[in-house]
Amino acid sequence: MTSTLPLARPEEGQSWTRYFGFNTDAKVIGIQYIVVAFFFFLIGGFLAMIIRGELITPASDLVDRTVYNGLYTMHGTIMLFLFIFPVLNGLNNLLIPTMIGAPDMAFPRLNAVAFWLVPIFGSLLIASFFVPGGPAYSGWWSYPPVSIQNPLGNLINGQGLWLVAVALSGVSSIMGAVNFVTTILRMRAPGMGFFRMPVFCWTALAAQTLQLIGLPALTGGAIMLLLDLTAGTSFYRPEGGGDPVLYQHFFWFYSHPAVYVIILPVFGIFSELFPVYSRKPLFGYVYVSVASFIIVGLGLIVWVHHFFPSGVPEWMRNLFMFTTMLIAVPTGVKVFAWLGTIWRGKLQLTTPMLFCLGGLVNFVFAGITGIMLATVPIDIHVNNTYFVVGHFHYVIYGAAVMGIFAAIYHWFPKFTGRMPYEGLGKLHFLLTFVGANLNFLPMHPLGLMGMPRRVSSYDPEFAFWNVLASLGAFLLGVSIIPFLLNIISSWARGPRASHNPWNAIGLEWLLPSPPPEDNFGEHVPTVISRPYGYGSDEPLVEHQAEIEKALILQEATR
Amino acid sequence: MTSSSPRRPGPIALAALALWIGLLVLISVWMAGQSYHWLPVQASNAAPLVDGLFSFETGLGTFVFLGVMSVIAWVVLMHRAEKYDISDAEPIEGNTRLEVIWTLIPLAIVMGIAIYAMRINHELGILGPMEHIHPHNAVEAQGGYPGDRLPTESIEVVARQWSWEFRYPDAHVSSTELHLPIDQPVTFRLTSDDVIHGFYIPAFRLKQDVIPGKAIDFTLTPTREGRYRLRDSQFSGTWFATNQADVVVQTADAYQAWLKQAASEPLQSGLSDAVGEYVERQNQSHPGWATVRPAPPPQVNVPGSNTLPHDA
Amino acid sequence: MTSTPIPPPGQVVAHGEGQHVSHNLTGFIIFLCSESVIFLAFFSGYAILRLSALDWLPAGVDGLEWRMPLINTVVLVSSSLTMVVAEHFKGKEKVWLFRAFWLLTMAMGAYFLYGQAVEWSGLKFGFTSGTFGGTFYLLTGFHGLHVATGVLLMGLMLFKSFIPGNYSGGEEGVKATSLFWHFVDVIWVILFVLLYVWRA
Repeated sequence: MTSTLPLARPEEGQSWTRYFGFNTDAKVIGIQYIVVAFFFFLIGGFLAMIIRGELITPASDLVDRTVYNGLYTMHGTIMLFLFIFPVLNGLNNLLIPTMIGAPDMAFPRLNAVAFWLVPIFGSLLIASFFVPGGPAYSGWWSYPPVSIQNPLGNLINGQGLWLVAVALSGVSSIMGAVNFVTTILRMRAPGMGFFRMPVFCWTALAAQTLQLIGLPALTGGAIMLLLDLTAGTSFYRPEGGGDPVLYQHFFWFYSHPAVYVIILPVFGIFSELFPVYSRKPLFGYVYVSVASFIIVGLGLIVWVHHFFPSGVPEWMRNLFMFTTMLIAVPTGVKVFAWLGTIWRGKLQLTTPMLFCLGGLVNFVFAGITGIMLATVPIDIHVNNTYFVVGHFHYVIYGAAVMGIFAAIYHWFPKFTGRMPYEGLGKLHFLLTFVGANLNFLPMHPLGLMGMPRRVSSYDPEFAFWNVLASLGAFLLGVSIIPFLLNIISSWARGPRASHNPWNAIGLEWLLPSPPPEDNFGEHVPTVISRPYGYGSDEPLVEHQAEIEKALILQEATR
Repeated sequence: MTSSSPRRPGPIALAALALWIGLLVLISVWMAGQSYHWLPVQASNAAPLVDGLFSFETGLGTFVFLGVMSVIAWVVLMHRAEKYDISDAEPIEGNTRLEVIWTLIPLAIVMGIAIYAMRINHELGILGPMEHIHPHNAVEAQGGYPGDRLPTESIEVVARQWSWEFRYPDAHVSSTELHLPIDQPVTFRLTSDDVIHGFYIPAFRLKQDVIPGKAIDFTLTPTREGRYRLRDSQFSGTWFATNQADVVVQTADAYQAWLKQAASEPLQSGLSDAVGEYVERQNQSHPGWATVRPAPPPQVNVPGSNTLPHDA
Repeated sequence: MTSTPIPPPGQVVAHGEGQHVSHNLTGFIIFLCSESVIFLAFFSGYAILRLSALDWLPAGVDGLEWRMPLINTVVLVSSSLTMVVAEHFKGKEKVWLFRAFWLLTMAMGAYFLYGQAVEWSGLKFGFTSGTFGGTFYLLTGFHGLHVATGVLLMGLMLFKSFIPGNYSGGEEGVKATSLFWHFVDVIWVILFVLLYVWRA
């Protein structure tokens, strides 16, 4: 009987230095991704502080306008390509193999290469601060012709480095996506059919499918932009017969789905955590899982809503308005499913649960402003204003980053073997929630009043809301301190975590904390029921009681 | 709340729920009314349509948001686990009827909004065709467009890094301040000399990107006298933020008088904040990062002003 | 946390057989699907630029010569067939015949590249000759890069066939290479239609 149980393997003997080298263990790579992502998060956040510092007064008085433009461009680029995507890939690396009972990713070496590309293109992007002329300054969209103007005429310029970095990021993401999809399709534990798979894996599969379909379009568009910039072609150059709006199609064909690449795994996190901390099964599991793929399908046919004022014919405006509206339906289904999950539950307001609830509140708000933006006549007015900036920061920071924090607090004990501190966690939540709302809510009235985004100075009538937003931003800057304190101190000397401190159901909680290098190794348990069987007394896997007994025994003897 | 057997809510609970929903409806209606104040003054005939739609969505959105918040607040207040209670709740896995209902309700809501918005779209199109795009040089050859059916005033708008120039071809006037007659449809022909700019007048609720290599016709009708801001809405480089101009809507008489007066003025340099700042910047030892050189200020009859107080 | 039914005693379950199978082919197919989107992006970009252009052809150019590319096309399409034949012989464990047809396929791929180079050198327009020149060189160049990669992959597989016992357990490399080659072929046919057959 003991042959079905994971052997007790001590965590000692694994040096912490493995985090600094080329390691093929998905759990090491996952932590590498997350740590690197937060390093860049601090840089991107620092740039945001300068941006909000400039905007606290109407005049352009803190930094030069060229510097401002470079900083906001780099803020967006770093936060998306060097924070959000890597941190989500980190979570994918930690969670996908352990949740489906695989020993590692399908292609461990490819996985490591994909990770190591991140610091490489990250350094390249940071290096662009130091080339003559400064970094890219045309916004993270890099719309031509502004992005191909190249004022100094040098071959090595900020915009060129930006493009190379983004292309490398695309290569890394494609490698990751191939890996994640193959792993989920081919390496699930025995008995784990698609409809016994945790929702996080469903959403990861959906998100990575979007990467595979969308990213090459951006890569193609970016190659043409790079050629225009450096080789003198005229794909987007009006003087040579090119079409600058063509780039917008390529860019948004990927970059709208990219938002779903970000938010879908966060939906997965919500779907994982609400059941745990409500002690109830996920309401409408099949519905929630399938909704992810409806979002994938619709997410690919909405991109034109990003440039309604670019001169898009009326039939196209109406068509893309309809598809954009439709995408609210599967999203709404998910929101209702989470409400159904917490309804009449036994709520435990732990730090991860607070982050989930706060993220949900922000997400619902962002959804409503999203519907407004989808409506063509309103969009014509607020497009390219601070209304849009407010909307997507609600999505990205208010919902996605909050969800990511929830995931980090929730799975931290599993992968480090240490418990994070609740007090600091709750303080972190409070500062984040208040800071995010104070920062991003005032952007909506600003946009409605007609303040364009990306401005380095503005008319005095916008000052009041900008001061509020800046104060919120500084509060957000402070909010990261308790998080870092919490993570560093609890990782170093926090209380030891048991294999299942939150009393959660899932394969990953049937592993020791931290899990051994090959997870279940040869002893992958057979899954015999749906996930989230809270309150149903049904075991998730065969021989669950023995597995848990062995884990408890192992914890008692360490 | 913790009883495991499903029970029907009592009449008091239902009444309280109805009262609460009634309250939410009231707040939503109030917010819908408030939403008009969040927007700039209405200075074109498009503005009331857009604002009406926005007000409608604000009301609806408020109701949905508060509804969801009520559920969350109720759950957080009433369905908390007791301290040290680690037992599970009732295992409700789903309810197909409920799931179908809450798929259909959002579907109905968003389709309703979409149809309403399409109608507004169409009306905006009738008020003044939103735009016609045509290749830059094939324009004059074909002699105008069927969209210009109404006897409209025609104004050429040239966007540059970083200035706006307005040409009144019939009156042989050019300016860096846009003057428009009230209650008359005006057709703009938008062109750009360099990069994409955004022709955006918040008080008119209208926005149109200006694409280099194309001439875009764009019609609107101002309805309120006053001085408004035109802002560049598509990032156009270093002095993007300063690429603003004033729009003066005046009576037909005042407008004609202005045109007449302007035609007699000699050509002079128009407004371009970028040019001034660029010169200043040249004198600094560490001016910042590289920038494109601003286009020289356009030579116009009337520079006008972009520093006077504006209505929106 | 949850009660477990007691399992029948003495049952030893051997799990995890599926864990060590190589997933290379799955991963490669997923990658190819993704790669095809880049071509799709280039194709649609080409079509949009061409349809919206006022003067598609640059001054002094009146269209592309299509005879030589047609020969090239025939060679490339036939190379897909020779590759199928090669695979067939590998399945029958006739290694030398496999190598022969494999080499033939490689040679045809190389001839295609040569033909492409000859065509390029004879053209009167360059990469920067408007959107016509840009898209032409971009499409043919990006595709040519794929052909070159395919020939190199085939070379690698040919070399591996000399390692004793290399192909006895499964030959995902050969399968992947052949999939890639057919993919490159299909792309070329679409490209040929877009560039040479589509007349204004």
